[in-house]
Amino acid sequence: MSRVLNSLILLALGILVALPLLFIVLQAIFPQLGAGSWQGAFSALPRLLTDDALLPMGFGTLKVGLGVVLCSLIIGLPLGVLRGLFRLPGSALWDLLFLVPFLTPPYIAALNWTLALQRNGYVQQLTGLDLESLLFSASGITLVMTINIFPVVYFAVSRALMASGQRLALVARVHGASAWRAFWHVTLPLLLPALAGSALLAFTLAIDEYGVPAALGARAGLTLMTVGIEQKLSDWPIDLPGAAMLSLLLSLVALAAWFAQRHLTAAQDVATIGGKPAASEAVSAGVWTLPIVLLFALTALVAVALPLCSMTLSGLLDTLSGGLSGANLTLRHFAALFSQQGDALSAFSTSIGLAFGAALLTGALGFLVAWRVAEGKSRALALLDGLALLPAAIPGVVIGVGLILLWNRSFWPVSPYNTPAILLLSYCCLLLPWPVRYVSSALRQLAPTLEPAARVHGASRLQALRLVVFPLVSPSLLAAMMMVFAVASRELVTSLLLAPAGVQTVALFIWRQFEQGSVGQGMAMATLTLIATLALMLGATALLQRSKKV
Amino acid sequence: MLLTSVAMMSDAHALTVYTAGPGSLAKSLAAGFEKQTGIKVNIFQATTGKVMARLEAEQASPQADVLISASWDIAEDLQQRGWLQPYQSPNAAKVPDAFKTADYVAQGISALGIVWNTKSGTPEPKNWQDLTGPAFKDKVTTPDPALSGASLDLLAGLQNSEGEKAWTLFQQLKQNGMVVSGPNAQAVTPVLQGAKAAVFGAVDYVTYNNIAQGEAVKVIFPESGTVVAPRPMMILKSSQHADDAKKFVDYVLSDEGQQQVANAWLMPARTDIKAQRPLITEIRLLPMPQESNADRASILKRFATLFGQ
Repeated sequence: MSRVLNSLILLALGILVALPLLFIVLQAIFPQLGAGSWQGAFSALPRLLTDDALLPMGFGTLKVGLGVVLCSLIIGLPLGVLRGLFRLPGSALWDLLFLVPFLTPPYIAALNWTLALQRNGYVQQLTGLDLESLLFSASGITLVMTINIFPVVYFAVSRALMASGQRLALVARVHGASAWRAFWHVTLPLLLPALAGSALLAFTLAIDEYGVPAALGARAGLTLMTVGIEQKLSDWPIDLPGAAMLSLLLSLVALAAWFAQRHLTAAQDVATIGGKPAASEAVSAGVWTLPIVLLFALTALVAVALPLCSMTLSGLLDTLSGGLSGANLTLRHFAALFSQQGDALSAFSTSIGLAFGAALLTGALGFLVAWRVAEGKSRALALLDGLALLPAAIPGVVIGVGLILLWNRSFWPVSPYNTPAILLLSYCCLLLPWPVRYVSSALRQLAPTLEPAARVHGASRLQALRLVVFPLVSPSLLAAMMMVFAVASRELVTSLLLAPAGVQTVALFIWRQFEQGSVGQGMAMATLTLIATLALMLGATALLQRSKKV
Repeated sequence: MLLTSVAMMSDAHALTVYTAGPGSLAKSLAAGFEKQTGIKVNIFQATTGKVMARLEAEQASPQADVLISASWDIAEDLQQRGWLQPYQSPNAAKVPDAFKTADYVAQGISALGIVWNTKSGTPEPKNWQDLTGPAFKDKVTTPDPALSGASLDLLAGLQNSEGEKAWTLFQQLKQNGMVVSGPNAQAVTPVLQGAKAAVFGAVDYVTYNNIAQGEAVKVIFPESGTVVAPRPMMILKSSQHADDAKKFVDYVLSDEGQQQVANAWLMPARTDIKAQRPLITEIRLLPMPQESNADRASILKRFATLFGQ
């Protein structure tokens, strides 16, 4: 049984992750791979290493990556702790709001901020404040990326706290520790796996991000590695081996971070969920409720409301050059969406369908991988963990190239290439790291005795998994699947490369509007899809919660 | 999902066209062609970079029959690689010789100009040089020539016609605070919102679209001349549907096809088709440069050094 399961997991990982990665590695080594020739092996490497631009690009990427992790921790950790510990008014609302940055495609987020903050942007038109020089700088890029990425930390920390409850901290309090001391010496160390796991995810997301550095980097005089990779793939002549080589370099950086994270948390025993009934219900924050809620509101205002307003406004303005005035407001961009032979609607349903599929697939596979890795002590399984992280560190466009190289071959009897299935495969490959990271951290909190205890009492392996382990990690898994859904519903870079003829996703639709110079219609579509997707997710959460109560 | 795959496979006999934007043009050309000939067209439309990356990665089993690119150089290179199937459409008779060869022909043509915000409170520029004046201090953007082939053509064209004086112009623009900002759209958006007053060398058709949407901007073709970017259309040698592909090229160059090109605010490749914008015969052109790739690389490098990138 477990042998069969293992082989199934390996097969799925192989198809989704290992094979595309293999073809990227082959492409990096053999420049003529596309044409089916093995000539000129490694000729891309010296060209890459002697490139003057490599060092500044590498340092810039590291600087921004670390900056984003630091800022994400500064914002995400306190908010996550507060959300996990206390019963806050509107807690579901805050969770939902902090999902919004994920639902916004990065290039639109960058455009939102540009339209809001640049000279004569919305903020200056309204308040006179000119923040252009901040926006187009390394700090500006780091901040905009942080706003898109900090929820990763927020969700990991709050879910970990909700799962582990406050029992151990209470024990410390009973034995005379002050509230602060109990937090510092008990709660925080127990959070370490979640913190390290989400910091790792934030770092890989930051160095893998393309939309924001592409939009803001040129003016800031900063070229990050993803932008360099994308340039190799867009400048004629196309440099596939160079791009593949540079991506492998980028994934080495992420692997280094993964080793650091493993090393950092390896010695810790953070199992807090034993068999004891824990009163893990969050407590009331008392007089502190209002200040805490204000803090949440302030963060949501800057990170969510401001870019969202910018987006909605751009969809409502008749012309950008007309500026903010009552006479310049119109609904025509929204109306236009409904008069395009149903194009917008079909794009929306395609995206939602693909995102749903990706969330289910990555959720199931991610859970199984994390569970086997946590259970097994073998090195081979630890490698699985690393393999499942790699796609997060390789730019989407390169994953796309890998998928073409892999599936566009005449030797396959059936190929997903040129069907919507290729998009599903690419999203699964790109997003599998999310559930794996989240579930691994959650599993670290379970006492190793839980599953054996169930087995002793006669539960089968599967029953133990289904009735004991799964329910305990499900909050983390669910949060990760929500994020996969959100990201997959608006993915652009890979979709642009892989979309089969006639298939349009939301992000492609919006991008085509921009490309034709219809900023208003693009923004209108972005606003509508955001609202619709949020409503869908809200509905799904409500349904899940109701079924739980029953 | 399975059903869609099957549906896709049954379309294997359809014509596959890979094209760089504008998307609406690609769609309407495909629809018009299908209506006239009954042949279904699969369109893959993306940036020139993505289209070419996909073409390159697909070499093991090529999918595209017809390619429409935004860069003439790419067509030249592909022809030298032996990827193209020569075809002279009878409908290409009215396309000027500069925009056709034995292997490829222009679908339409765009030009570079100054895009100027009419509400910016600056005097209307008539020439490239006007953007170096105090009125435009810190108010000019330009697309990055490293990302936009057409921008690089403009630099090369100016250098070709004016020699070192062209570099004096770039120097003065730099001193006047011109910023280099990514691809074309990123240079134009600030001008739409009024963060900047003018773009030095923007692609014209996107801006004509903006004007049609009511934006207060204007495209100005400088008196001293500018460059054009013909969009080459070609049939790939690997095509299994060469006859249909030829019919498609014929259709794009027909009166109806060229009218659709004009409706997308591009200049039609044929000189006898009218458009609601200046035609190729009405724009003053810089002498077309005959630079090698090495010359182009050195221009890029000099420009990048000048603007401290």
